[in-house]
Amino acid sequence: MENRFKIAASERTPAVDLDFLARSLSLSGESYPEDAASFFGPLFEAIKLLLADPRGGPVRVEIALAYFNSSSAKALMNILQTMEAAAASGTPVEVVWRHAADDEMMREFGEDFGEDLVHVRFVLESVEGAP
Amino acid sequence: MLARDYLDFKRALDAKGILFSISGHISEAILFSVGDALKKRMAVADTDVNTVKRVFSVFVEQVQNIIRYSAERIDVPGDKDQLSRGTVSVGLIDGRFHVACCNVVRSEEVPMLRARLEHLRGLSKDDMKAYYREQLREPPASDSRGATIGLIEIARRAARPIEFGFEELDPTLTFFCLEVCI
Repeated sequence: MENRFKIAASERTPAVDLDFLARSLSLSGESYPEDAASFFGPLFEAIKLLLADPRGGPVRVEIALAYFNSSSAKALMNILQTMEAAAASGTPVEVVWRHAADDEMMREFGEDFGEDLVHVRFVLESVEGAP
Repeated sequence: MLARDYLDFKRALDAKGILFSISGHISEAILFSVGDALKKRMAVADTDVNTVKRVFSVFVEQVQNIIRYSAERIDVPGDKDQLSRGTVSVGLIDGRFHVACCNVVRSEEVPMLRARLEHLRGLSKDDMKAYYREQLREPPASDSRGATIGLIEIARRAARPIEFGFEELDPTLTFFCLEVCI
């Protein structure tokens, strides 16, 4: 297995970095792909591999997006639901949702996405400047 | 005559405060380019950053709805980018942005679309937020291709209730418009 699943950011798709050894996933940039299913599909596969890794251990997810469209929102929720299920089965998961301090939309999305997460430790983080 | 005709056209757009208007077969590439120009146009005018985001978000959802749901669509052989016919315009009147989108839909889809829009129009801000959260967690309905969450996203950014209308062209096709003031 490769140690990393990485996608460089494009003008309308986010930078993705999943590190299988560090057990971390980060998403940053903007997300409004032409076809969300084909963009996020390979990432889901990589997340499944990470969560199936018998070595186990805590997982950390960092979401620092500046904008995403509604089909990306469904994909992000799918990722969080997968993480919640893993956390419910005993894998400690922390999700950090980082947004620019003056970005009302991304802060409100953080509240929308973080609601209902019981087993995942969800942190909404406001930063000055770009997230 | 030529200049006069087009000047009348330009003045009709100016009267509605239109900053951008595209009519014809729209692709994802057009969505990206016009969206980029729209962000720059708003930034130059020192538009509040949150307003820029809201207008951009409504613009993206509206244009993607045309691309996915317009009944007038051309599939280009060998190219996965679809060309879907519609009209999108972004305007500014009295300091408020509005995004309007029109396209032809199949008449059989009208009752469901109308019901969804009427439901959204009647929701308070808090109910809209709760509905968004609920739909976000739902698996997509098989026939909607993600339309519900996109329409909620549009309605959520609106400063006043969304406006929409339908005009039947013939028994199978209906002209549909949705206007959002941000």
